[in-house]
Amino acid sequence: MYNIIMRKFIAIVAAEFARALVMITKKGSGSALPGVFAQKVDPKIIGKLAKMIKGGVIIVTGTNGKTTTAKMIASILETAGHRVIYNFSGSNLSRGIASFLVQKTSFWGTRIDGDIGIFEVDEATMPEILSMVQPKYIVVTNLFRDQLDRYGEVDKTAALIGKALAMAKDTTILLNGDDPLVASLSSYNSKVQYFGVNDKYQTLSKGAIDSRNCISCGHELTFSPRYYGHLGNYKCSNCGLSRPNLDYSITDMSFTVESSKATFNAPNMKTDISISLPGLYNLYNALAAASIASDYGIPETTIITALLKLSAAFGRMEKIKIGEKNIYLMLVKNPTGFTQTIETLTFDKDKKNILIALNDNFADGTDVSWIWDAEVEIINNYYSNFTVSGIRGDDMLLRLKYADFDTAKITKELDLKKALESALKKVDDGETLYILPTYTAMLEIRKNLANQGLVKGYLE
Amino acid sequence: MARKITIYHLYPNNMNLYGDLGNITALEKRCLWRGIETEVVNVNVGDTVDFSKADILFMGGGQDTGQKIVASDLQEKGQAIREQIQGGLSALLVCGGFQLFGHYFKTLEGNQIKGISVFDAYTIASNRRLIGNVVTDITHNLADWKIEYGFDVTEKNITTLTGFENHSGQTHLNPGLLPFGYIIEGYGNDSNKQYEGARFKNAYGTYLHGSLLPKNPHLTDHFIMAAIARRYGVKEALAPLDDTIELEAHQASTTRAKTAKTVSL
Repeated sequence: MYNIIMRKFIAIVAAEFARALVMITKKGSGSALPGVFAQKVDPKIIGKLAKMIKGGVIIVTGTNGKTTTAKMIASILETAGHRVIYNFSGSNLSRGIASFLVQKTSFWGTRIDGDIGIFEVDEATMPEILSMVQPKYIVVTNLFRDQLDRYGEVDKTAALIGKALAMAKDTTILLNGDDPLVASLSSYNSKVQYFGVNDKYQTLSKGAIDSRNCISCGHELTFSPRYYGHLGNYKCSNCGLSRPNLDYSITDMSFTVESSKATFNAPNMKTDISISLPGLYNLYNALAAASIASDYGIPETTIITALLKLSAAFGRMEKIKIGEKNIYLMLVKNPTGFTQTIETLTFDKDKKNILIALNDNFADGTDVSWIWDAEVEIINNYYSNFTVSGIRGDDMLLRLKYADFDTAKITKELDLKKALESALKKVDDGETLYILPTYTAMLEIRKNLANQGLVKGYLE
Repeated sequence: MARKITIYHLYPNNMNLYGDLGNITALEKRCLWRGIETEVVNVNVGDTVDFSKADILFMGGGQDTGQKIVASDLQEKGQAIREQIQGGLSALLVCGGFQLFGHYFKTLEGNQIKGISVFDAYTIASNRRLIGNVVTDITHNLADWKIEYGFDVTEKNITTLTGFENHSGQTHLNPGLLPFGYIIEGYGNDSNKQYEGARFKNAYGTYLHGSLLPKNPHLTDHFIMAAIARRYGVKEALAPLDDTIELEAHQASTTRAKTAKTVSL
């Protein structure tokens, strides 16, 4: 017993030491190194610290919408008076989770500063976390192709999440019922509930690239309707597989370029919700968050208030005022997300100022071939100014050429700082520059804006 | 005279992992911009098709599950495809498509997934994934392309292909089979960093996606020209296009292959 406690203590000290080191040397963001140290000393540190969170742990995983969903859940629970701790500083791998837990733990390892923990967990890290933590809830947002050069393939990702779900004992598992692959995860653990959309909404996207074959027999699925990617009310005409009955749903959706509304239906409530984020994918995030909150017993009014006041997760979708002009940052990282983001820009008919910044560093995914699966054609008639930038700006311009854009009207400026300046110059007062950056391009743009004192730096 | 070419896209539902649609788009647009009509026929599992109607055959890469589903269906079509390729049908087979056009793919568990033996080559799965930007030298093909179709690729001063590879299968070419290209940057067929892809008649197998054809317009045009020559029995040069943007993307990918670290996981 003494040894176990000592080990935890030393792990915490090691992590604190690493944090101090990071602060002193000012190298890196400091979000992962303390965790690396703590796990070296005590590989089970995550499990030990998570046990001290009295109200339990909520885990959010899936390809798109993890951070935003986790942030929405946190906002609702905080509004309800809970002290919530969460790993929002970026790293959702086990070292990042270890880091954030150590940071929230008292020096002697006896107290943790929160009564509910929300862990955003990378899909491939799920089995490792579930081997140490028994969460109260797990929510799986969706499964799309992501940075394939890192993990291989989406079926493998599903199997990893499934392996983790099989380890969950007293956990309520919330699955996106509109996603055939996510819904099929119920084969690993039958204690599941489903959320999804019931609406006439029809996407502009053709969604040609996402797997739309039946999980069980391989036959092509039919959707009535399809909402985006491979999400929708699906059915297999060959083997009869169909979307499961939804425990939680949204109906009567409506959108503008910067906000969305819908009616939320749960076993114990039916209420209108409204969020200051655009796009169906963000309504899915709100649906997942509201589903957990209603099951947790959070009152309707609290859910409505919390969702309404919420702003987007770091860099995911962020509005910044520059004098009389606005910048709207919308992170893009995979073809389905990119197509969805582009589609939101068509929700009103105003011509948009657009800057796309495509980098191919490790955190972006080093393979840029996914831009050929994004349906950039959708915005061909919706822009007034268009700039491409980033390390692979040449590839982006080429993509636009083959989507029949008039490339003579597009500015190519690979240097992000210059691209930002020249794109902003073309924006009229009162108008918005919509920036679609990949991850490291987003960091670079934020850094530029921070240097001008327009946004807070990375270490908030 | 009005020209039309028909592109057969093999298994777009299962084999479309790495921006493969970009290859189809490149063929379609570069025809359209020259007034050549195109038709894309999607060939999926269970479809009965007449491959003599195809002018260009394309197959991309898929996930393991996708690959297994199509492998047995491909066996049924194998004979017809082999005959057409013997007769000069143009084909581009990327990644999983390349592997299944060889003799077999041996999985990590030791199972053999049978291919259709267009290429005298075989693939063995490994625990190592070869990932990164690639540049290959394809000079050895260019003489053929020029002689057969009157198209001087060297005028454009590109003797390379560039794209992105991501594969754990290691492909071995039997003696006598030419590679598609010789590695300048990247890994290629196996970890020896020597050969990339394979070429048999006018069928080209490769691990390069990215997408491959948009930023390698010389290759795209070769396919179009070869298709027209075979369909109409005439060797005619294609109307020139402004390829500035294509060649800048080609250059950017080439530069990135030299500067960015390649990974093998």
